[in-house]
Amino acid sequence: MKRFRVAIVEPSAIVAEGLESMLSRYAEYEIVYNVRSLSEYQSQRASDPDVVLLALQYAHEDVGQATKIGIQTAIADSDTLRQFQATVSIYSSADELAKILREALDSPADTNFSDSHELSERERDVLVLVAKGYTTKEIATELFISPHTVISHRKNIVHKTGIRSVAGLTVYAVLNKLIDSEQL
Amino acid sequence: MNKIIHLGRLLPLSPEMKLFELVDGYPQLLSIFSRLEISFPFGDISIEELCQREGRDAELFIMLCNMHLAPDYRPAEDSLRHEMLKDVVAYLRASHRYYTGYMLPHVANHLERVLEHCDSVSQRALRSFYDDYVRFLAAHFEEEERNIFATIDSIEEQADASFAMLEAPHGDIDDRTNDIASLVIKSLPERVPTPLRCSMLDHIYMLRDDLRRHSDLEMLLLRPLVAKYKKSLKR
Repeated sequence: MKRFRVAIVEPSAIVAEGLESMLSRYAEYEIVYNVRSLSEYQSQRASDPDVVLLALQYAHEDVGQATKIGIQTAIADSDTLRQFQATVSIYSSADELAKILREALDSPADTNFSDSHELSERERDVLVLVAKGYTTKEIATELFISPHTVISHRKNIVHKTGIRSVAGLTVYAVLNKLIDSEQL
Repeated sequence: MNKIIHLGRLLPLSPEMKLFELVDGYPQLLSIFSRLEISFPFGDISIEELCQREGRDAELFIMLCNMHLAPDYRPAEDSLRHEMLKDVVAYLRASHRYYTGYMLPHVANHLERVLEHCDSVSQRALRSFYDDYVRFLAAHFEEEERNIFATIDSIEEQADASFAMLEAPHGDIDDRTNDIASLVIKSLPERVPTPLRCSMLDHIYMLRDDLRRHSDLEMLLLRPLVAKYKKSLKR
């Protein structure tokens, strides 16, 4: 069974522990970080989790390729809420919480793109493998990341390059000298 | 009487409108003239007179013009007559010829001029990508002609024929056309002169928009007309 790696970044220990306790009832979720601040999360993070449950005060912060879910502890404005793919309320039940995560993970962020249109190093790695004809599963194995993260990278690549087809991405990789056409 | 419903901006096209006014006001419709092989000069005649001369349905001609001009235009259900079906198929066939015989080679010519400013590796990659795109479109057109148009040609003998392909989305075509534009905008080297790059983009976007209208014609005209025709056969 696929287990999704979850990070909780929430200043309130009561809220954070409550979320961890509720999610621990579901085998599909593994809490890999539970920290009180974004800086603590950034200093501890070795690789991107699949999802980050994030306090609303960090709405405008970048959490890399992870699906970004807001923890709503108070009324928030629409601009803040728009920064997240979904939000969970402190009044959510365990089942509601698990469902929100599942739905958000099923449809990786479309609104969570970085403002930069430069491909990250990881996105370039994924792009090169896409151009070489690797499947999502093969890319995940090659790069030691989850298929979900590969899908998320691919969505970011499409968003940044404006190119959807594998053939088009291959040409992009060649034109940008990411790959030697002899390798294809 | 013109029963066409206009959504979005008003398009005051009527059978009485002079052809010169139509072309002068909407030069983007010239590609329709090209597809229908309407002969010039046409002097001071109206749309209706032209259609009489060419043996065409004036109402359908206006619908085609409106669909090309306004992406949100929808022909009114009661303005569609099953007799229009064969003419719509003829127009769609002519459009296929227009794409393969004119528009795609035209974009290819622009591409070659752009490629003169690229290195040999980029030239190979882009040329091969475009050739694949042309083959992909040609295969799609052939499949439509074989599975849809040919069946419509003999619809009287096969009123129960399936037209499942008419339901198929055309998203792949749109994606691939957009991919060419994205590559030209984002990845071609800086040394490609801007006027050349812009001219190529102009033609790609023209092609993309025309292909979108083509797909709309299949969904909004051809599909309901097939249904009406089949219904008329069962009466």
